Amino acid sequence: MTAHNETGELQPIHHEPTSFFLKYLWSTDHKMIAKQFMWAGLVFLLIGGTLAMMIRWQWAFPGAPVPILGSILLRGSGGVIGPAQYMTIFTTHGLIMIFFAITPLLIGMFGNFLIPLQIGARDMAFPWLNALSFWMYALSLVLVIASLFGNLGPAGAGWTTYPPLSTNLGTPGSGQTLMVAAVFVTGVGSIMGGVNYVTTIIRLRAPGMDYFRMPLTIWGLFLTAILNVLFVPVLGSAAFLLLLDRMFGTQFFIAGSVTGAPAGDPIMFQHLFWIFGHPEVYILILPAWGIIGDLFSFFSRKPANFYRGTVGAMIAVTVLSAVVYGHHMFQTGMSPMLGKSFMVLTLIISIPSVMLVLNWLRTLWGGSIRLTVPMLFALGTMFVFGVGGLTGLYLGAVVPDIYLHDTMFVVGHFHFTMAAASFLATFAGLYFWFPKMFGKRLNDTLGKIHFWMSSVFITLVFGGQLLAGYAGQSRRLYDPYQYSFLTRLHGLNRWTSYAAFLLLLGQFVFIFNFFRTMFFVKASGMEANPWQVSTLEWAIPSPPPYHNFDTIPIVVRGPHEFANPVVLERLGRDWIGQAEELPEAMPGSARKAGT
Amino acid sequence: MDFLGLPHDASVNGYRIDHLINETSFFVILFFVVTAALMLYACLRHGERHQASYDHGDTWKSFRWTLAVAAAIFLVVDGPLLVESLTDLREVFFNFAYAESQPQAVRIEINAHQWIWTARYAGPDGKFNTADDIVTTNDVVIPQGAPVIIQITSTDVIHSFNLPNMRMKIDAVPGIVNRMWFEAKETGQFDIACAQHCGSNHYKMKGTLTVLPRADYNRWLGEASANSSRGFDPDDAEAHWGWDWAAYSRI
Ligand SMILES: [Cu+2]
Ligand SMILES: [Cu+2]
Repeated sequence: MTAHNETGELQPIHHEPTSFFLKYLWSTDHKMIAKQFMWAGLVFLLIGGTLAMMIRWQWAFPGAPVPILGSILLRGSGGVIGPAQYMTIFTTHGLIMIFFAITPLLIGMFGNFLIPLQIGARDMAFPWLNALSFWMYALSLVLVIASLFGNLGPAGAGWTTYPPLSTNLGTPGSGQTLMVAAVFVTGVGSIMGGVNYVTTIIRLRAPGMDYFRMPLTIWGLFLTAILNVLFVPVLGSAAFLLLLDRMFGTQFFIAGSVTGAPAGDPIMFQHLFWIFGHPEVYILILPAWGIIGDLFSFFSRKPANFYRGTVGAMIAVTVLSAVVYGHHMFQTGMSPMLGKSFMVLTLIISIPSVMLVLNWLRTLWGGSIRLTVPMLFALGTMFVFGVGGLTGLYLGAVVPDIYLHDTMFVVGHFHFTMAAASFLATFAGLYFWFPKMFGKRLNDTLGKIHFWMSSVFITLVFGGQLLAGYAGQSRRLYDPYQYSFLTRLHGLNRWTSYAAFLLLLGQFVFIFNFFRTMFFVKASGMEANPWQVSTLEWAIPSPPPYHNFDTIPIVVRGPHEFANPVVLERLGRDWIGQAEELPEAMPGSARKAGT
Repeated sequence: MDFLGLPHDASVNGYRIDHLINETSFFVILFFVVTAALMLYACLRHGERHQASYDHGDTWKSFRWTLAVAAAIFLVVDGPLLVESLTDLREVFFNFAYAESQPQAVRIEINAHQWIWTARYAGPDGKFNTADDIVTTNDVVIPQGAPVIIQITSTDVIHSFNLPNMRMKIDAVPGIVNRMWFEAKETGQFDIACAQHCGSNHYKMKGTLTVLPRADYNRWLGEASANSSRGFDPDDAEAHWGWDWAAYSRI
């Protein structure tokens, strides 16, 4: 406990800087850095989404000029997407969504904003490194934009960037080089962020904030940060070697001839990529699991069922995620022994995943459910994650994967997990913590319209992808109907595209709500704790002062103390804060009070 | 409803894949519907006016209960998938010894490049990379009812040789010779597709798989071989990409 008593002294209160540069640009305040990530992440989410609409347009109306966007982005070709441009569109869409939209929102925004506030710290362990992490990300955004204007063409090797296609043999343009460099740079930023998150959670928890009293959101962010620190360096090394191949003529990933001349191995890249790539799926889903785990408890007004089991399941998935990556490579000619091993390990993941879902269900069961906007988004997340997780079964087993590998079924599967679940969870969190960040609430009715449009159409879009894949459509086809066995899918693809356009339309409801609240609604009259929940960040004003906590709180209970009859009797409400003393505690009645 | 469902299966063993996919779909859809229904019911049954129960569920009983349900679901849903996959791999898809031992088996070498499939048949001498080889472009001819063993590589980027109607697929990787085998049940013409993004014309990397009755196939083989011997050019190094079948040592 002595270590804990020092936390206050270790974190002296600094004064807020007043210059524009130090306040808004090179800010070391975790809350400002979170907002920087939020703005950049939302802008790039919209860019990535717009690119997706162009892909959908091409599949609905191959070769027809793209309305509106075509006249801006594709002037040279009269608004028509050509095969080379199509390559760039899906490559850029994938990379932007994963590295430059969802990662900064789920991890950059929520991680920065919530970790200090929810564990009772005044800032991150390394505030300066934190600012540097954001600016590395910003630099990578510049590289992404620059890649679109590269000499000899932009990037086009897909988000997986498999060599030799991603070497000068397949994509000679400097755009591809800049894109690989962007991934490398943003990876460096992610590692900085990860080191910072892990250190902060280990060192700066308020007194009494044991690991098993942390909100599930913090657990999700903690495990994600650990995965980031362990596996992003692997991606970095793959990207670095690829850059050497592209720029300095090395041949790490360029094979010799079939006669066996000594040279590199393109499959080596896939090993490095997927050693990172599979954990990446969990990097993007763990914060989402954490957030919805907390929200289910908050809006069922009931303790999260079997909290330790949920944490245990999340840890189990994190550990397993490191040893299953081979399921992405079943068709590369991998040895049958390896294929079988990866299949068994992959399928085992379903056990902790089912435990997680069961705990969520039992949290909801017998609650006092409030269908608020964040709760709706959390339920939507659970729904789409169910589809995403279950469709993974087919792909984790070698035999069905022979047929389904590299089809739209794979695309639908990972969009349900990485895109739909992460996307809906991001909005669940954003609607929930927006009042904390800005001191005002987003409009409820608009939020509900946004929810229904988002969750219904996202399910239809990615469901359409699953069906197309099941029927045999390969991914990344500029014109699928070149193949006679796919001509029957034109109608399905067109309807899926209509759903996608409506999905985009629904996002404008959010954009309107967001800007209206941000700039035209006065920040006054909001209750300090509008959702009536017990975690530490809601015990301080909204938005929080620069140093967060005037005095570091002393935590006395877990994050989900709802419906406790003793609390109800003494305080007249169904919740009690994590650091709130229960008044007139009678001996033996306060649960685990003090430490 | 033509867009629903797997493409036509013209292979002898494809039914195993279809069966596993459909069986998994049955359990997966069942599990999903039950879970989603429970979620919906939990949300609609107890609204704001209901007093939530004060239960942390933090007991050993709770742990055992959750683990038992998770394990049961694993056994029912993942179990068959795992066991049948392993059986299918042993009996068929990884069973190259069976395919190689069949006297009527057909051996083909395929070389993929942007954006063409070139196929090579050994010809009457049974040896690859000799003057009597038959070399075709985007056109693979096979007999009905005999194992077809394919060894495949690529000269530029990674491609993936995809026969949706045979439920077969394998990557073509430069520097590596991969293999697969299958057997056609029906005669006819089917699509050969590329499943791995391989550049701007990936979508056009299309070939035709023609399945002929054995007698027709033999006739085709004889004619094609005579033609290719006449067209053989010993100085054209580019055209001599074949490899010794026996030299195959991976796996
Ligand atoms: Cu994976
Ligand atoms: Cu190809």
